[in-house]
Amino acid sequence: MCRQDSRVRLSAEEEIAAEESLSIYCKPVEFYNILQRRAIRNPSFLQRCLSYKIEAKHKKRIQMTVSHSMTGNEGIQNHNSFPLYVFLGRLVSDVAVQEYSATYRFSRACILNNTTGEGSSQVQANFILPDINKLALEAKSGTIAILLVSFVGAQNPLCGINPFRGPLDIGSFPSNVGGYCLWGKIPLESLYISWENSPNFSLGQRAEMMSTIDMHTCFLKLNCLNEDNCISIQLYNSETVTTSRQVQVTVSAEEFGAKEKSPYNSYICSDIPSSSLSDIIRLRAGNVIFNYRYYNNKLQRTEVTEDFSCPFCLVKCASFKGLRYHLTSSHDLFNFEFWVTEEYQAVNVSVRTDNWRSEMVADGVDPKLQVFFYYSKPLRRKRRKNLHNANHVHPYVFESNLHAGACKLSEKADDAHSSKGEKARVSGVSSGIPHSYTDPGSVQSLSTHNLAPPAMLQFAKTRKLSIERSDPRNCGLLRERQFFHSHRAQPMALEQVLSDRDSEDEVDDDVADFEDRRMLDDFVDVTKDEKQMMHMWNSFVRKQRVLADGHIPWACEAFSKLHGPDLVKTHALIWCWRLFMIKLWNHGLLDARTMNNCNITLERYQNQPSDTQG
Amino acid sequence: MAKFSLGSEPVVGSLTPSKKREYRVTNRLQEGKRPLYAVVFNFIDSRYFNVFATVGGNRVTVYQCLEGGVIAVLQSYIDEDKEESFYTVSWACNTDGTPFAVAGGINGIIRVIDAGTEKIHKSFVGHGDSINEIRTQPLKPSLVVSASKDESVRLWNVQTGICILIFAGAGGHRNEVLSVDFHPSDIYRIASCGMDNTVKIWSMKEFWTYVEKSFTWTDLPSKFPTKYVQFPVFIASVHSNYVDCNRWLGDFILSKSVDNEIVLWEPKMKEQSPGEGTVDILQKYPVPECDIWFIKFSCDFHYNAAAIGNREGKIYVWELQSSPPVLIARLSHTQSKSPIRQTAMSFEGSTILSCCEDGTIWRWDAMATS
Repeated sequence: MCRQDSRVRLSAEEEIAAEESLSIYCKPVEFYNILQRRAIRNPSFLQRCLSYKIEAKHKKRIQMTVSHSMTGNEGIQNHNSFPLYVFLGRLVSDVAVQEYSATYRFSRACILNNTTGEGSSQVQANFILPDINKLALEAKSGTIAILLVSFVGAQNPLCGINPFRGPLDIGSFPSNVGGYCLWGKIPLESLYISWENSPNFSLGQRAEMMSTIDMHTCFLKLNCLNEDNCISIQLYNSETVTTSRQVQVTVSAEEFGAKEKSPYNSYICSDIPSSSLSDIIRLRAGNVIFNYRYYNNKLQRTEVTEDFSCPFCLVKCASFKGLRYHLTSSHDLFNFEFWVTEEYQAVNVSVRTDNWRSEMVADGVDPKLQVFFYYSKPLRRKRRKNLHNANHVHPYVFESNLHAGACKLSEKADDAHSSKGEKARVSGVSSGIPHSYTDPGSVQSLSTHNLAPPAMLQFAKTRKLSIERSDPRNCGLLRERQFFHSHRAQPMALEQVLSDRDSEDEVDDDVADFEDRRMLDDFVDVTKDEKQMMHMWNSFVRKQRVLADGHIPWACEAFSKLHGPDLVKTHALIWCWRLFMIKLWNHGLLDARTMNNCNITLERYQNQPSDTQG
Repeated sequence: MAKFSLGSEPVVGSLTPSKKREYRVTNRLQEGKRPLYAVVFNFIDSRYFNVFATVGGNRVTVYQCLEGGVIAVLQSYIDEDKEESFYTVSWACNTDGTPFAVAGGINGIIRVIDAGTEKIHKSFVGHGDSINEIRTQPLKPSLVVSASKDESVRLWNVQTGICILIFAGAGGHRNEVLSVDFHPSDIYRIASCGMDNTVKIWSMKEFWTYVEKSFTWTDLPSKFPTKYVQFPVFIASVHSNYVDCNRWLGDFILSKSVDNEIVLWEPKMKEQSPGEGTVDILQKYPVPECDIWFIKFSCDFHYNAAAIGNREGKIYVWELQSSPPVLIARLSHTQSKSPIRQTAMSFEGSTILSCCEDGTIWRWDAMATS
């Protein structure tokens, strides 16, 4: 969706010149389309990582901060309540312990110290809560609460040990300790209700709540068993309640990661009523404006992508920062300027005229004179064949008939590079781009699917490039000259050249067997059976490529299996084989166990025919 | 490696001409400035017994010997490559009887010229270096064998254009192969010799199925399962220098080196062990002033006589099958001084042609004896 900038009024000739200059985008855009095609089936590592980040980002969470709030007159009194322990605990209902009035399970405890305390201590406790929508269920159950515990002022701390002192490594605690203390709680329900009522909280705004909590004296017991950390609280009678104090804390909550927000997303500027703000936020999330500059930067066309998508390869980049890194690293045929304001986040794009021609074959250069590399034997790894082939080819063909949506491209590279193709390209750009641009709302109609081209430049859509074109080009190179068979030096037919079969290191087994037999025939002091045995072994070893000493045990077993039926037919032959195995054993090439296995195999063959006869 | 046997001493022919036949120069032709390396009569087709071909430079010329010493030019082919220098030519024919002139030379490409249509029938590539001799199997004149500088001998089917066998490898020649010949009756057997001073006898008996297959092959010639024959059945060290020509005389072999003689010997193979055996040298046919290599002799159709030129332009005609050998004639002419690379004896031996280093062709005809 490109909008033509209407600020500049141009004459007819100037307009033609302007369109001409816009065509400078064609080659790089087509080039990136090729790359994108390749990436469909085999996305790069980086982008796979990115998609994880995007997913994580969509999982919204709330960061809740609990801090002690001090008011002037209460300063001294509150000072006494430090250190203050903060838990996020879940009420355990099924633990039937009579003497305790409540048991909470928790996973983490935070200590709040006075600001004047040791440097290492904290002044606020942070908790991560699930998304507000997920939180609703939990909150309504009424089981979760923020617990505040203070030992100061409580009588008789048990054993003189403050169970919570020191690092908050629960594992280092004695498993069961107890003591008297002051405690108070803030039910999550109350927090939830206040957040829900806060108009801007769901829009990512910060919500703060100050509350005063009554602290009660109680006997508290800590259980640290099986990774389940529980505190049990036993309330005392009303007499002790009088000794309770009050602690004032501030609970603030905001969407996790809100601090990384750019001014564009902060929405603090506007005097828009909050009801319409939510709509705007939904609209604006991840929308990036791309301005394509051309005609000496006098003109520009505008395109909007959503989800921080790259307009060239449609990759979602998770954030504007991510988009910036992606564009500069992956699309260096363009110059980019990035800027973010409260109103919009935008990228100004212009074609780098200085260097992109070196990446591709410039006009007037005969591509045939360029240096090509071609590997006719595809690597037998996991790599895709088409991907591999295309790697070594300069993508010098960028023809696209833009008038027709589906363009038929000639397979011949020569034609594609002709000046005729050039003209079609130039004229096609201007007519291929719609000149209308309505309102920002129309952006929302764009597809969110990763591969569908949402707000792509129109001329980027028409393509039939990549794989099917790179192959014929390579074939052309193979066609140009005569190839010869390496052994026979016979000229190869084209179909043989193009076939996947490689006969480079073939061994003619027929001839090799024949030569072997003839060589063995030369021996005069060897019996017929010995010669046959030798021939069988030589043939086997050659065909199976038994090369190293370590191959011998395997070879013996396989040989016994393969030739067993023949060996057992002739008494002399089987003894030749056994003697040979003994020879191998003598030389330490064959172990006794393998030899035994071979003989068992042979015995089995020996017994088989007798069984069938009997 | 075959060794000499200590039986009887070889019989050496006397250089005194017997004057059984007398030859006289009847024609002399200057074909060109470039040396002529081969001249050969067509023994394949009885209709064309008086037709011969010569090669020199990039040219193949076909002549006809007419009555009264007349030589008529029939055809002349010039290879498009000026650098080509043909060394050898042989007559072959298609199964339908069309005569082929098969020529090869420094480029290593064998040109099969259809003398009927006067066009190139096929070109065989495969040899890695120049081709020193091409011979035709008289029993199956579609089969030709070529000896090359690339140390190999190849068997081709000129009809289908297939390279059937390659005689090279572990037991093959260790230097240029200069000459090759088919056994006259044993269709499986060939003999080759070359710069490694040996004569090797090869058998293609075990590979004959491939030879037969080559006649019925309809697929691409390059897909034919060409086989390597790596081991000859017999290796003879008869000579101590380059062996540049060998021919079968029955089961015996005539071969020559640069020792001013042609040697007739018998390869004696051991039944049990192929490759080994002894050589029995039977006769020697002295040829004075024949001490440079690439001088080849020729025989008439029945191998009654052999003619060989020498470095000084003289020709010695030996009766082959008599013992001791008889020198039929010694041909010399005052103007023939250039080395004669190759001679050609006509079917009956009544005409002898010689082609010389200076590009001349000499025709000698036997005088009628009353």
